[in-house]
Amino acid sequence: MRSLDESREILYVIRTLDVLMGSGVGLEAAIHSISQGGYGIISKDFANLMDNINKGKPLEKELRALLKKAETDGYKRVINTMLNNVTQNTDIIETLRKQGERMEESRTEKVKDYIEELGGVPETLLSIGMIGPIILSILGIAPQLMEDAEELFGPMDQGMIMSIVNVGLFLTLLGMAMIGLKAHTKDPGL
Amino acid sequence: MLFGILEMFRNDPLLLFIITLGVACSIGGIPPILERIRRRNIENDLPAMLEALSDSLGAGLGLQQAMMAEADRNSGTLGKLLRETLAESHASSFDSALANFATKSRSSQVQRVMHLMSTAIEQDAPLQNILADMSRDYERLNDLMNRRESDLMGRSILIIMFVSVGLPFLIAFIVGLFAPRTQGFQLDSFHSSFTMFFGMASLIAISVSGRMLGRMRSALWWAPLWMAVSMSIYHVGVLVIGG
Repeated sequence: MRSLDESREILYVIRTLDVLMGSGVGLEAAIHSISQGGYGIISKDFANLMDNINKGKPLEKELRALLKKAETDGYKRVINTMLNNVTQNTDIIETLRKQGERMEESRTEKVKDYIEELGGVPETLLSIGMIGPIILSILGIAPQLMEDAEELFGPMDQGMIMSIVNVGLFLTLLGMAMIGLKAHTKDPGL
Repeated sequence: MLFGILEMFRNDPLLLFIITLGVACSIGGIPPILERIRRRNIENDLPAMLEALSDSLGAGLGLQQAMMAEADRNSGTLGKLLRETLAESHASSFDSALANFATKSRSSQVQRVMHLMSTAIEQDAPLQNILADMSRDYERLNDLMNRRESDLMGRSILIIMFVSVGLPFLIAFIVGLFAPRTQGFQLDSFHSSFTMFFGMASLIAISVSGRMLGRMRSALWWAPLWMAVSMSIYHVGVLVIGG
């Protein structure tokens, strides 16, 4: 969930940092501006970072702690760029612009991949969702359908068969949910 | 036959409850759809507005003048909202008018743009370039969102139709044909299990298709209705085909 939030917000954070720092605002003030809200999990992280800085902790240490906390590649890069700016006085604006462009390209690719990957979901979902219940429905009515064939197949207990059918139906639902989970986990975060 | 079907519903209080819940929730599901259409109209107009503002600033107009000109020019939802906001802003500052516009749009894209514009004005940043950049950014973003919508909409409808309509009909056909009630087959627990299964399968289908389109919460409003449809198709199908 955190990585989804990060990937959804990071591009907007980069653009805001670009505008703020491009117009002469310092890194700490830019972080403070984003910490005021509007950028989901990143605002919360930055608010936490500002709290710790106000308590007297160094910005470098806090950025390093945030770097460990970050889950997505893009967010880690941005924090790393900030860290480099603090420790080596690098040109943060230019780096952020390049990162923004790259991230935008990767977002486009991710959306294309997402659409392609989800192409198979309906078929897989329908295969499991249809074949399972068809087999189980035939199994469920089998004891009564084949009442006269007890000598051939032996006695079939309706209660036991129904227990098997119920477990089968539950597993089918579980399978459908697991396939559907792909739509959530692969979300590009638009 | 008709009385038989009505009798069947009377004997199944859970199904009756889900039908009632489905009707109520589907009414609740209409406002999110309307709101989404309105929001997407605004968001799709946003890049063009930003580009026009950037051009006007380049031609030497102030931001407020440029926004007024854009409000007159734009005949869509965004233009209407902008006209309303600017008309109400005579008694307040331009900054608060921007904030008011962002709030009224109820769109995170517009809110972000307005926040960034306010920040740029505060910091005396080059607004023309910023607006042009944002216009490009949001155009790409909206293209991606529209593409996702158009490409995945068909698939999400396919999932719902197959799981909530096709599957219960198929099973009802098999059961009704091979184990009809008129021939004395006793399948009460079987029907109960499959009815529950179709309800849950429909819930999963709605959740998955909603998630594919990136709007699971608003899709879930329709889940009880589709659950009721699915369960009813199975019940009625068994009764009609099985006699």
